[in-house]
Amino acid sequence: MICVLFSSAARTPTNSVVVERRSKSSKSYRQSYRSCVGAASRLCFTPGFTARRLNASRRAPKSHNVTDKVNPQQLALLMKTEWQLSYVTPLYQFRHTQLKSYSRQLSAFIAAEKQQGLAVEVEGAQSSFRVSISVVQGMVEADDDAETVLIQIHSKLLFAKKDEPQRPVWSGWLTCINGNPDYLRSLPEDFTCLPLFCSSGGEGLTAVVKSWFQQTFDCCFGTLEINHTSLQWLAALWTNCHAESSIQHLKMIWTLPVAPPLQVTYTVDPHDAWQLWSSVRKDPREESKGGEEAEEENSIDIEEVMEFMQGLKGHFYRHFRLDLSAGSLKQVTTALGSAKYSGKIKISNSRYMITTFTLLTECALLKMPL
Amino acid sequence: MAGASATGVLSQLSLLEVKARSRKTQPQQQSRVKELKAKVEALRAQRDQLKAEIETHKHLQKLRASLDKQSTNEEEEEEEMEQDSEHSQLLQLMARHTQLEDLLYAHHTIGGYDVIKTRQGKGVCVSLATAYDGVFLETYNLEIDLKPTLRISRHNVPPFIPLNSLAEQNNLQTNIRTFLDTLSRHLNAFAARKQQLELVKELHKSVQVMESNVLCSILVLMFNVPKQKTAVLCTLDYSDHTRSLPTRVHFESEDEKLPDSPEWKKNCSLLKETPVHKALITMKKMGNIV
Amino acid sequence: MDDSTKRLLQRLIRRIPAQTLRTTLEKWGRLTAAQQRSMDFTQPKWALSEKLLAICEENGLTAKHITELEMTNVIDNPNQGMWYAFQLMDPEDDANSIELTQFKEQFKSHLRELVRPVSIKIKKHTDEAVWIRIAWGDSFSRPNHLKPTYVVHHLQTPYVFVTSLTSKQKPLLSQALVLSARYQAIKDANLSGRKLTAIRDLLMRKYQQVFPTMYPSPLGERNQVVSNPHIEKEQAEPAANRLQMACEAFGDGTLPQLQTVVYKLETKFRDHTNKTMTEREEPFSCVVKFASTNLLESLRHCASSGIASTPVTPLLSSILQKGRNYFVITDNGSGPSTQTRQPQT
Repeated sequence: MICVLFSSAARTPTNSVVVERRSKSSKSYRQSYRSCVGAASRLCFTPGFTARRLNASRRAPKSHNVTDKVNPQQLALLMKTEWQLSYVTPLYQFRHTQLKSYSRQLSAFIAAEKQQGLAVEVEGAQSSFRVSISVVQGMVEADDDAETVLIQIHSKLLFAKKDEPQRPVWSGWLTCINGNPDYLRSLPEDFTCLPLFCSSGGEGLTAVVKSWFQQTFDCCFGTLEINHTSLQWLAALWTNCHAESSIQHLKMIWTLPVAPPLQVTYTVDPHDAWQLWSSVRKDPREESKGGEEAEEENSIDIEEVMEFMQGLKGHFYRHFRLDLSAGSLKQVTTALGSAKYSGKIKISNSRYMITTFTLLTECALLKMPL
Repeated sequence: MAGASATGVLSQLSLLEVKARSRKTQPQQQSRVKELKAKVEALRAQRDQLKAEIETHKHLQKLRASLDKQSTNEEEEEEEMEQDSEHSQLLQLMARHTQLEDLLYAHHTIGGYDVIKTRQGKGVCVSLATAYDGVFLETYNLEIDLKPTLRISRHNVPPFIPLNSLAEQNNLQTNIRTFLDTLSRHLNAFAARKQQLELVKELHKSVQVMESNVLCSILVLMFNVPKQKTAVLCTLDYSDHTRSLPTRVHFESEDEKLPDSPEWKKNCSLLKETPVHKALITMKKMGNIV
Repeated sequence: MDDSTKRLLQRLIRRIPAQTLRTTLEKWGRLTAAQQRSMDFTQPKWALSEKLLAICEENGLTAKHITELEMTNVIDNPNQGMWYAFQLMDPEDDANSIELTQFKEQFKSHLRELVRPVSIKIKKHTDEAVWIRIAWGDSFSRPNHLKPTYVVHHLQTPYVFVTSLTSKQKPLLSQALVLSARYQAIKDANLSGRKLTAIRDLLMRKYQQVFPTMYPSPLGERNQVVSNPHIEKEQAEPAANRLQMACEAFGDGTLPQLQTVVYKLETKFRDHTNKTMTEREEPFSCVVKFASTNLLESLRHCASSGIASTPVTPLLSSILQKGRNYFVITDNGSGPSTQTRQPQT
């Protein structure tokens, strides 16, 4: 992939007045990312362009033993929960060493917000919140990735007995998996890039947490959908894993723009999906010559993904004479996880989560506003 | 199927007739005085209209006569009707309309079906019209595949008409005409029974419908005999589904002698020979029922 | 009243919609006018339930009466639970002339021969439908009124609609139905849905069908925004054509509210650009489910708007023509054909 390194990074003043710094720096790092990936205008939403904006080729998912690197208890917290995704612009002066202090600050912030009667409505007035922010050690892939940060909020009843367990009411995490290294290196000093924000819990608390981050680290949040192309990528990437770990089924949900709206659920036998996928894969032996290119050997191209989807849609059309391209893909589910257009993701098998989050990190970096 | 090719006008008429049937007016409620005044007005208007209608009818009959003559004797000259031209044009059209309606009726009565080709001649669609007492009712359709064998692919015949067994019994493959005739008899008889039931409910509020079924093949009515004030349960059994008259009529009453009385025996044969709503009118007139 | 009857009543009152409670009780007709008047329908359900319990005690009503109330409610609100359609097959000669009293007696005696104790209630609704409520018991227990089976049958038609039937009860009910309706067999009609009215109208052909006709058919006008008169004119004929074909396949006007259709496909994968898959011996297995608040109207719109090609494929038009919403599709000689779980007539 051709990358153009944007050189304005050095010029960005880091110690000037906050307001000014924000406007200038935010522009520069965005531009730098865009040039790094050499993308076309962000305003184009057609799948073709979207496809070009995302990496057109990515490494095939390898079975990562995340459990080797990450504490299984922490990992369990990230699994089996449906997360709502957002993107976050880089955090200014965020320190992984000060998480304890951040926890206290966020607790106090929530308490203050609550006193103002804002947004926080969790069971009864007498409960207060305990925040814990921690690092998920090992939940990184490339050297440039910043360590993943997990935020947990427990509710604490005022008159609760000492040994009564606290109930988790909200959790969220910020991560960066295989972030574009050129972009990450181009960031000015004092910026930490954790572009993907996953949250689960009451909307009120989500809003408060976001607002604390915005105020404290001068960043901004935005909604992150998992678009048509990304969903197709996930369908292919997950199917690719079937040989190693059963996907049980490949389920895709489309909606068609008719009145009343029509929903089509297309569930494919895992083995047949995998065979179709294998049939559209370019012969890997042609590409691999010697051990050096072992990495190359396992790359997947967007053409293969499109051909796979075309095969599935073609089989459908042959029976129903109904063109799924007229609708939009809304959801992809396998035993490895499920992803929804609305920006909801659930991981059911940790072995391939790195691949999934690499894609989502990329989506988040792309979605950052102009 | 006879005359299927010459039915362009006929089908136009079917369409008109469908439209006419769907037009309905709703009665309004008014206060007593207003109501009466309105009634006077309405009656006057009706009288005027009837006068005009009689006038028009006379004209129409004249025109029809000339039209009918024309169709038999082409070279005959056209009648002088130039008095007021727009009026006469309308009358001409109306005359033509009645003429065609009669033709259509004749076409259906002699067993003509509307048939059109579908799917570039690979199939046909047959329309079977039903009518009772001069009123056109539901039209049923059959789409029939021609190849490799005749096969009914789609239809709107209700499930209680045994379409498949009729097709088998009448040998659809070799004798489609007989099949269509039998089916038409079933459908017309069903339409007639259904219409009779509706008319009974509409015209005879004092008669209670105790039981009926979707095929209208069983009808149980309850009458009241005026003087004795006894109730009579009357069962009409239409076991021949190709007929609109019952094959069996049975009376039941607390007064055990009643069904055997000559009067009620007469009623029994009356109900067997006359459509039930008409028979009830006669029975009322005779003072047999309330 | 014993505890189980009380529970039955309480649960029933919870289920009857608050707005229709008054009329349902009136229809039931077990309360005196004064008792009916004494009910304050603005009160919460639990209070009404208490009040009603007291009245029932006072009137000496039993489980039998409570089930009548339940039946009244179910008949008025039939679109609850999952309904399955069955089709009676091979009618005896007298099947078409069976009448209600005869059917009632026969059904009750046949079912009682097969299972005892059992509580059967049969009621004819105004639309000619025969409603049957069955509370099943066995040699160890009394009929369970909390889990009754409901059966709806229109005499002279081969269709039966059933809800809340276990696989153990199915053969018993089937046999009783076949014998009393004067048929020889019964089969699963592969049609089910939450709306009884929808599946009934579908099978009884109570919807507006469209047939090819000689004269321009008066198909309902669809609201279409006129964008460009020339384009409009160009497109008018194909559009009218598509609409005609869409209506021939799915009907015109308001259609029965079917909500889902499921196809289990076991067919060969054929794609001239994909040799490997086309040459593969085994079929490609997948399950396709279409869902909408009104499936037939959605599909009609698909066809009329061009999202689905016309003429409509037999797979989709079979929903109405065969009156089914579950299909297993396998390759059968040339081209795909439909096959059922049961042998198809």
